[in-house]
Amino acid sequence: MNDLLLALGRNQRARALVRRMGIPLPLPVPLDRDPGPWKARPLADARVVVGAAPAAAALEAIAACVASAGGDAYLASPEAAAAFQAPCEAFSRPARPLDSLAEGERVRALVFDATGIDDVSGLRALYDFAHPLIGRIARSGRLVVVGRAADAAAPEAAAAQAAIEGFVRSAAKELGRAGVTANLLQVAPDATGRVGPVLRFLLSAGSACITAQPIAVTARARAVEEPPLVRPLEKKTALVTGAARGIGEATARALAREGARVLCLDRPTDLGQTSQLAREIAGSALAVDLAADDAPGTIADALRATGGVDVVVHNAGVTRDKTLARMTAEQWDQVLGVNLRALVRVTAAIEPLLRDHARVVCLSSVSGIAGNVGQSAYAASKAGVIGFVRAAADRLAPRGITINAVAPGLIETRMTAAMPLAVREAARRLSALGQGGRPEDVAQAIVFLASPGASGVTGRTLRVCGGALVGA
Amino acid sequence: MSPKSRRAVVVAGCRTPFVKAFTDFVKMDTIALGVAAVSGLLSRTGLPHRSVESIVWGGVILPGASPNVGREIALDLRLDPGCEAMTVTRACASGLQAVTLAAAAIERGEADVVIAGGSDSTSNAELKLPQKVVHALAPIALGKPTPSDYVGALAQMLPLGDVLPKRPRIAERTTGEVMGEAAERMAKRNEISREAQDAFAARSHHRAAAAIASGRFDDEIVPVQTPGGRWVHADGIVRADTSVEKLAKLRPVFATDGTVTAGNSSPLTDGAAAVLLMSEERATSLGLRPRAAVSSWAYTGVDPADQLLMGPATAIPLALDRAGLRLSDVDVIDLHEAFAAQVLSVQKMLASAAFARARLGREQPVGEIDADRLNVHGGSLALGHPFGATGARMITTMANELARTGKRRALLGICAAGGLGAAAVLERVD
Repeated sequence: MNDLLLALGRNQRARALVRRMGIPLPLPVPLDRDPGPWKARPLADARVVVGAAPAAAALEAIAACVASAGGDAYLASPEAAAAFQAPCEAFSRPARPLDSLAEGERVRALVFDATGIDDVSGLRALYDFAHPLIGRIARSGRLVVVGRAADAAAPEAAAAQAAIEGFVRSAAKELGRAGVTANLLQVAPDATGRVGPVLRFLLSAGSACITAQPIAVTARARAVEEPPLVRPLEKKTALVTGAARGIGEATARALAREGARVLCLDRPTDLGQTSQLAREIAGSALAVDLAADDAPGTIADALRATGGVDVVVHNAGVTRDKTLARMTAEQWDQVLGVNLRALVRVTAAIEPLLRDHARVVCLSSVSGIAGNVGQSAYAASKAGVIGFVRAAADRLAPRGITINAVAPGLIETRMTAAMPLAVREAARRLSALGQGGRPEDVAQAIVFLASPGASGVTGRTLRVCGGALVGA
Repeated sequence: MSPKSRRAVVVAGCRTPFVKAFTDFVKMDTIALGVAAVSGLLSRTGLPHRSVESIVWGGVILPGASPNVGREIALDLRLDPGCEAMTVTRACASGLQAVTLAAAAIERGEADVVIAGGSDSTSNAELKLPQKVVHALAPIALGKPTPSDYVGALAQMLPLGDVLPKRPRIAERTTGEVMGEAAERMAKRNEISREAQDAFAARSHHRAAAAIASGRFDDEIVPVQTPGGRWVHADGIVRADTSVEKLAKLRPVFATDGTVTAGNSSPLTDGAAAVLLMSEERATSLGLRPRAAVSSWAYTGVDPADQLLMGPATAIPLALDRAGLRLSDVDVIDLHEAFAAQVLSVQKMLASAAFARARLGREQPVGEIDADRLNVHGGSLALGHPFGATGARMITTMANELARTGKRRALLGICAAGGLGAAAVLERVD
């Protein structure tokens, strides 16, 4: 788990020395993180520059988000002033014109409303906004573009909106060296009201490892009125599979930190560790072998006893990495059995026990998106997860239930520490942020997707990979 | 609120003169100041000592050896031993807290005659030894120390800079922010200009000076004899001859490019104020004319890391709701003036429809507070602010205002450390 370059990057002198000696060593920037619990004002006193193309539709949502999160808005487009007037007044943070920002002063975030761009020439507004400002984003800062879903539009409008995706992905790669992330919200016209909580998460330190992602915001699932900004999971019951260690453990802790009562599930052989965790977070432990045929029934019984469940995190997974030629049928069955078959069966068994507005989060992997040598079974199972959530979303949406996948890239865990050094180094550096993520980064993404405010995101896969260069 | 079967009324109130810290009252601690105010109240009302059932006292800088100031006052005054007492702290709203606790006890039928008030002596703030010293000396103070204990204690106290008593600071425990810095930030965020602050401060002084000159405060202030034998008759901070021009010359204290100065901030003050509350029935049966009834009150909190002194903007609408009133129904308003910038910021938010919608969940703004209704006899900027006394001072002045002028309703608002807000509504008793 020791990242020498990152440790070196933490040291100002070492950074200066490396630069002075002209060594082409890309020292990654240590990221500002926030392990939670969520803050009322994650942007407290941070400068946020907001710009907009003509006919922007999300400015009011952006204004309310920035002002209530404690950010000081600086407007690059005078037309945005009307939308910012009321929310900024309510929080005593009057929006100011961009030119009132002193020369050389850095900003925490750039937010651009591109919802009005419907032709190719309209893209110029995005360039005009980002070009002079991109160098002024502080370390661990943010660029968020709010655009439209490209699919349902006229071809040229679709071209323009799809172009924005390419822009954001490239910006993410340019900004990653400074620990800055760049993401795109693709907002359906009837889902503008759901932008706030998603934008808040992307602007907060909890999304430190999420970059180069297009995130669709739709009105498919029934919305939650006035979602809470702090302790989003109060009074919620959560189930986390594979909770004994790694991402599962970090997730169980993070959910508990936001107020959830967590049922920690892991294999019977890990019951000691699972129970220990459950005690620490005032949850409960459940020992189930997910490969067993009666696992779905056992889990359903446990959830029936708690009176239903609000958050389900399918995290349990196994790896049996072998090239296809060497992989035994048994190994194939083990991987597919736990990672995909159990997930599908357990979801079916507990579907009646999901409360309205429940949240289901399934762990996928960047391997599932990009494929990987020696991981044909693993990647198949993780790609299967993506297909599963895509299809299941519509069925669950009328009850306000969302189902999403989270696809981690290289995460610094005991499992990845056992990887060969060269492979691990490559995986770390071949990403926009130039470093591996932590279990807490994945946990924060899961907490976001599990929160009431995430009603706009369903059927999607959210990568937590620091902008890994592989995959779509 | 549901209609009350018992109503708490303000029968009388009075206070010591308020003077700058480390001046006339430097030899009087908060208990002595409280004794002065309560004895003045008792002699002016002619109330038999025996009839006082309880003292509820407010204070911020409490004496470590005897924090229940209220009880010490009762004992020093040789009130009936059965007169029980408590002391509460709610930062700058402590005095109001004492009054509303007394009103609540009366409404509940727990008592009929209660003295509530508060006092503070900034001059007698105790210097605190750093915890490091306390821990290092514990084995010596509490056990049978060996020579090595002494050496150990000495060794633990090095370097000496860490063990010297610290200068007391009125800073937020959670944020480390000093009040004036918070006021400075609020001035910036709410776009309150230096000119507006200075004009507000000058008006506070002029109105207070006019009230004093007209004799308006004569039955509210009791002269106090200091241990040195000197009599103090009048408030010591009011400047009748101040002006916007004079105030404009002062340098900002909390930021070089700031707007908050000594002139538009409330000063550190020594003083005490006391209010006599009764059930309406008891007052009537004793033949006393109540000055006002306590209609409602509310306490709220806002995030101290955001706008520390914005509390009244949320407490005021709540207290008005509980009294079934709107801001426009109120004839006279007393807002505690911690800083001119803070009062003006609160006023701005009360008038804001955007604030009402986003922060209070109501469609209409709480309302405008015009200068004619606000702090008609000056406020804490001019009169001073002995933390625990201010709430009782405001209750007294407002109750007298209703009794003297025929106005019907008065509203009080106080901001306090920790992001607290306090408000109360008084109504005329016909």
